[in-house]
Amino acid sequence: MPDRDADVAVGIVANPASGRDIRRLVAQASVFPTTEKADMVQRILAGLAATGVDSALLSVDLGGISAGVLRARNRRRPGADPPWPHVTFLDEDVPTNSAQDTRNAVGRMLDAGARVVICLGGDGTARVAASAILDHPAPTGARRDVPLMALSTGTNNVFPRLREATVAGVAAGLVATGAVDPATATTRARILDVDAGDRRERALVDVGVCAAHFVGSRALWDPTAVSEIYCAFAEPDAVGLSSIAGLICPSPREKPQGVVLRLGSVDSAPVVVRAPIAPGVVLPVGVLDWCVLRSGEARPVTATSGVIAVDGEREIELHGDRAASVRLRDDGSLCVDIAAVMSEAAGEGLLRSHH
Amino acid sequence: MTDTLPTPVPGGLDAQRLREAYRTMRTIRAFEERLHEEFASGDIPGFVHLYAGEEASATGVCMHLDDRDSIASTHRGHGHCIAKGVDVKAMMAEIYGRRTGACQGKGGSMHIADLSKGMLGANGIVGGGPPLICGTALASKQQNTGGVGVAFFGDGASNQGTTLESLNLASVWGLPAIFVAENNGFAEATASAWSVAADNIADRAAGFGIPGVIVDGFDFFAVHEAAGEAIERARGGGGPTLIEVKFTRYYGHFEGDQQSYRLDEVKQARETVDCLKAFRSRVTGTGLLDEAGLESIDGEVFALIDAAVAEAKQAPRPTRSDLETDVYVSY
Amino acid sequence: MARTISYREAINEALTQEMERDSSVIVMGEDNAGGAGGSGEQDAWGGVLGVTKGLYHKFPGRVLDTPISESAFIGAAIGAATRGQRPVAELMFIDFMGVCFDQIFNQAAKFRYMFGGKAVTPVVIRTMYGAGLNAAAQHSQSLYPLFTHIPGLKVVLPSNAYEAKGLMTQAVRDDDPVIFCEHKALYDTTADVPEDSYTIPFGEANVVRDGEDVTIVALGRMVHVAEEAAGELATSGISADVLDLRTTSPLDDETILESVASTGRLVVVDESNPRCNVATDVSALVAREAFSSLRAPIEMVTAPHTPVPFSDALEPLYIPDAQRVVNAVKTVMGGQNA
Repeated sequence: MPDRDADVAVGIVANPASGRDIRRLVAQASVFPTTEKADMVQRILAGLAATGVDSALLSVDLGGISAGVLRARNRRRPGADPPWPHVTFLDEDVPTNSAQDTRNAVGRMLDAGARVVICLGGDGTARVAASAILDHPAPTGARRDVPLMALSTGTNNVFPRLREATVAGVAAGLVATGAVDPATATTRARILDVDAGDRRERALVDVGVCAAHFVGSRALWDPTAVSEIYCAFAEPDAVGLSSIAGLICPSPREKPQGVVLRLGSVDSAPVVVRAPIAPGVVLPVGVLDWCVLRSGEARPVTATSGVIAVDGEREIELHGDRAASVRLRDDGSLCVDIAAVMSEAAGEGLLRSHH
Repeated sequence: MTDTLPTPVPGGLDAQRLREAYRTMRTIRAFEERLHEEFASGDIPGFVHLYAGEEASATGVCMHLDDRDSIASTHRGHGHCIAKGVDVKAMMAEIYGRRTGACQGKGGSMHIADLSKGMLGANGIVGGGPPLICGTALASKQQNTGGVGVAFFGDGASNQGTTLESLNLASVWGLPAIFVAENNGFAEATASAWSVAADNIADRAAGFGIPGVIVDGFDFFAVHEAAGEAIERARGGGGPTLIEVKFTRYYGHFEGDQQSYRLDEVKQARETVDCLKAFRSRVTGTGLLDEAGLESIDGEVFALIDAAVAEAKQAPRPTRSDLETDVYVSY
Repeated sequence: MARTISYREAINEALTQEMERDSSVIVMGEDNAGGAGGSGEQDAWGGVLGVTKGLYHKFPGRVLDTPISESAFIGAAIGAATRGQRPVAELMFIDFMGVCFDQIFNQAAKFRYMFGGKAVTPVVIRTMYGAGLNAAAQHSQSLYPLFTHIPGLKVVLPSNAYEAKGLMTQAVRDDDPVIFCEHKALYDTTADVPEDSYTIPFGEANVVRDGEDVTIVALGRMVHVAEEAAGELATSGISADVLDLRTTSPLDDETILESVASTGRLVVVDESNPRCNVATDVSALVAREAFSSLRAPIEMVTAPHTPVPFSDALEPLYIPDAQRVVNAVKTVMGGQNA
């Protein structure tokens, strides 16, 4: 149990780049404005303060989110606005406008003893934050198993949840202050490790292999180029590559196994699935075959040239000079289950008082 | 079933097209770096604003264009001119104020144009180009040519009413127009992080009901892919798109700018994300091009720039008889 | 065959005939049709004062309503002109040039020179000017001197329906950017106008009345004021040569100088404000080129150096009238015939 006598801190990392990629052009994906991200952070702060969190550690970015929160803090009217925890901006590292900013911020939060890390972004941001927690060196008193709460502000979001930020802040506060039982409040996510020689990546949801020379604009939205998909889990109500698997062999997050698919031409494949491959794009996808992917099992990637996409973003270029493999692990991040936390709060009367 | 699907060449980028892309980016870089040196020697009149560092944007966009398509440029326009096919020697002569220049020495660096190539001119007015591009896009639509208009503008111009009005008009009229916001971080000496409220220019697209995307301006492939999608959409009647290209300019606002307003971003960018270096390593990594081939392009480009400078310096200046010509077609 | 039609109808007829003749001619502006996006009539207005009424249905797809966004659509007209269109854009009131002047004077006017003679920008910008409708300070000005100042622009001010049709036809066919200034108070005036298409060349002033004693140079609506004054002066034995400039850029120096050489006296009537206007420009020309012909100092009849007032008690005092012209002529005539 967290020590309630100590300062209770929660970290909030927000990615300014999420929700801006080419899918707004090719697939009517939503724009998630910077101002809304800054507003979400403020709603989270209200939820944290309401549950007794003392301190919030905020990432600093060049995209305007931290600037928006700072402006809001400077304009707060004492007594008129709802209370916030003490807000600290983690400005020790110079922002680079890259994923490194998320890694740096999460590292600083863990070093400072954050009890929950809240991440605002898409699957890509959540992946970086989860990796930063998993990879954080255990010494210096930091805890490796700090729970992650991933909130959606991106495009093809499967891993992060689309939740109201105030409620998310309340739930995070209840976890951070130890008001709820960690065993019921969190679940353990699985993770896919991609090993391509000198390049290693992780995926929280899916790994796709597609025929292309270059990473290009990163996002993946054309299923005709995809030959293989590896899913950590696959839900039938998801959007993105994992929806293909979700619609023919659902593999819930709670079950300890994933799924592998091989794709082919819609004209000759034995099974054709109409899948929501990206926001606004539902296309027939030919599936040649599929099988269960077990934890710990490393699968060699069949293709030797092409691009590997993790969670819908093209990341690794294969040029025929190296083999790649994908392995499912069941020791991913602890994730806050907002519904379970709030359900326990209701059951235990944590947010209730009587006269 | 085969083990892998046939590998399509993205955006038609076969070896030949990749060589063209490299040649264009290398030409822009060499042109600008040479101007940087020549300007310091005092031979070039007026002001020049260099495009070095931003090559992937002009190149990635203009590779999708042909002569039926128009572009409008900015005061930092040399890269757009080169990418749209304006003659490099005529450009150099123009910057030297010579009669053999693209505009007979009457325009200079900030007004190089070639209407036969659909290059509507570099533009000395921040925000001057977007309304013009609404017009060229309208002309394409009226004439059913399938042509598009591309307005390049900077983070400074993103705050001009002309730009915002043009985004609105282009959306209302459903024009085949692409607005490329080249956000190099500074409008003159003012950071876009300060001057652009809400920080992302692309976010403003939502207010006009058109797609807005952000791409990494150091990555030719990212720009090329996004621009290709936007241009194809526009040609097909899908209307305008706003693309925000984020990067850094390698030199000051103008030549002579001491740039005390920024620290070491440029050094870092040159070392870590430079578009030419990244392009080289990626195309050689695929085996589509080899180092020797790229070096031979470098050699040809440097020879072209040398010749352009030498010829410009030797070229005649305009004379008094040129002063009052070409104000009107007839008067 | 000529028949009597209004200034408004004459401009509309010129546009209609040019749009029939040349499919590259397009018309755009705020409510040039009117009704875009509404539940009612399309072409509801045909321009705020009805000049373009009817074109919308005659020429589908070629009459474009615009948002109230002058920088964007005036710029668009200019851009389209560089790519093969002949746009006629309406900048509703000349007073609104303040919100789009960059596109006119930094873009359209300079393309040809800046680009070394390679640009052709055949755009016509129609705009209404002038006081007389109690439209007050931001809808009544006579700002044509500002456009006249800019090299690269042509500035046209038709004085009646006949002039309006011929000058508009020329404006559409002209390969340079033309600012076509229509006086609001002239729209309902009528004249005999041929049905067939015709052009009136730019830079050729029209001698509307022959006289010997004094040259009265006028433009736009002031031509009528000058003619009225000349009629009154004739009753007192003074014969005035009245010139309608038609265009301020190009300016017909020759006709002005010839007339002054024969009369020796000059009065310029100009509705614009008095500093750096057409009156000062013509006066300077005559002082420089024909000083020895002058038998008296030049007189200028202009608006005062004030914004246009609203009140119907003040506006008539602002606008030059025939009596002021008569007085000016009597001044230059000195004691003679006075």
